[in-house]
Amino acid sequence: MKFVPHTITENRSLVMRFILLCCALFMLNGCEQQQPIYQQQMLTLGTLVDITIYGVDEKTAQAGIKDVETLMAGLHHNWHAWQPSKLTEINRKLAAGESATLDAEGEFLISKGIELSQRSNTLFNPAIGKLITLWGFHSDDWSSNQPPASSDIQALLKQKPQMSDLVLVGNQLRSSNSGVELDLGAYAKGYAVDIAIEALRKRGINNAIVNAGGNLRLIGSKGKRPWRIGVRDPRGTGVIASLETRDDEAVITSGDYERYFDYQGQRYHHLIDPRSAAPARGALSVTVVANNGMLADAASTALFIAGPEQWRETARALGIEAAMLIDDQGVVHITQALMQRIHFEKDPPPRINVVD
Amino acid sequence: MLKRADYVVIIFALLLLPYLYITYWGNGSYGEQVVIRSANQPVQYYSLYDNHQITIAGALGSNVIEIKNGQVRFIEAPCQNKICIHSGWLRHDGETAACLPNGVTVSVVGRNTRFDAINF
Repeated sequence: MKFVPHTITENRSLVMRFILLCCALFMLNGCEQQQPIYQQQMLTLGTLVDITIYGVDEKTAQAGIKDVETLMAGLHHNWHAWQPSKLTEINRKLAAGESATLDAEGEFLISKGIELSQRSNTLFNPAIGKLITLWGFHSDDWSSNQPPASSDIQALLKQKPQMSDLVLVGNQLRSSNSGVELDLGAYAKGYAVDIAIEALRKRGINNAIVNAGGNLRLIGSKGKRPWRIGVRDPRGTGVIASLETRDDEAVITSGDYERYFDYQGQRYHHLIDPRSAAPARGALSVTVVANNGMLADAASTALFIAGPEQWRETARALGIEAAMLIDDQGVVHITQALMQRIHFEKDPPPRINVVD
Repeated sequence: MLKRADYVVIIFALLLLPYLYITYWGNGSYGEQVVIRSANQPVQYYSLYDNHQITIAGALGSNVIEIKNGQVRFIEAPCQNKICIHSGWLRHDGETAACLPNGVTVSVVGRNTRFDAINF
């Protein structure tokens, strides 16, 4: 190119070109502008369920939200652990030594419960409904609870209710132990977010988050950006860490701050250790990232109960690679796989113990 | 030698700077807005810097929420557990308090919301 000294006109055209360039840049920025996000919050399953939908028109989003609402209401109605439901009817029959007939969903949930309990070395144990009742968590108001008498705890410990006491043949369920009372609370919300996402997909929604309290599953992304998920600080109102995620994943946290009561300076929460028949000690929260909500939900409970000493081997037994446990000293124990993806939001950051 | 056009370019670039700064950096930590959600109701937004009290109806009754000097908190709740009130003041992006029995949540978000969902 030949160098030509600038003339006034050329200067003008240069300025014009620069302005055009700026306009073009702004327009590019405009292209990146987010499409609308539809959000709806509903009170169901004893918690708040938040749905976030991106990349479809409002009509589709509303239809998807309606479908999820219907599904959640059905789950709440069928599998409620202490209000009259299909589940309380099954429990009544099991306790009476009778055989209960399951529907397809019941068969799926209970067979999965048996399998996951076995893989977690029974730390995940949905057969301990009586213990949850004893501790007063089969209620909407647990704030003024008191710990039960130790004689009552001992009596239930002796019954040793296990998922392996159940015999499921076809759709017929029996129990060889009258101490078994099913409570699906430790994995039902994980299952709920799985079927919610499936329902949204059927509507052609491929970018969404369904968040049922600490139980979240997401698909797709927010346009060019991945979804960004904050994990709650177990001892505060803020976010302790965040991770970016896309495609299809479940992020599930179990903590001692969800359902608990304080009695004489001690916190008693709803994550009952089936070995001691008392709230599990040693952890404040556990977060699991996996490709299935039900698995991640069951695993987060099992890892919480396993505690800081045994959580890693329990995760391995369940096939979980990405997990972290925050112990009662505030130390974050985290797997390599999750450490590579997570960003700590606290300044100064917490003490971190990375394990293989 | 700088030509007149060069000055124009430099001035434009300088003018562009504050816009880019605000858009892409913003203030990461401190919140800007209060987002109040109640089950089956439209989401409500308030500035974190306008002091006032908001009464919001939920499943059990009413929650009263106070916004004051860049902070927000629950001051009344119809539930037994009162976990929302014990949460205290919220001021940073991403902080959330919930009155679960009443189906009401209060969150603080920044200029550009940093989190699409909070796992709590």
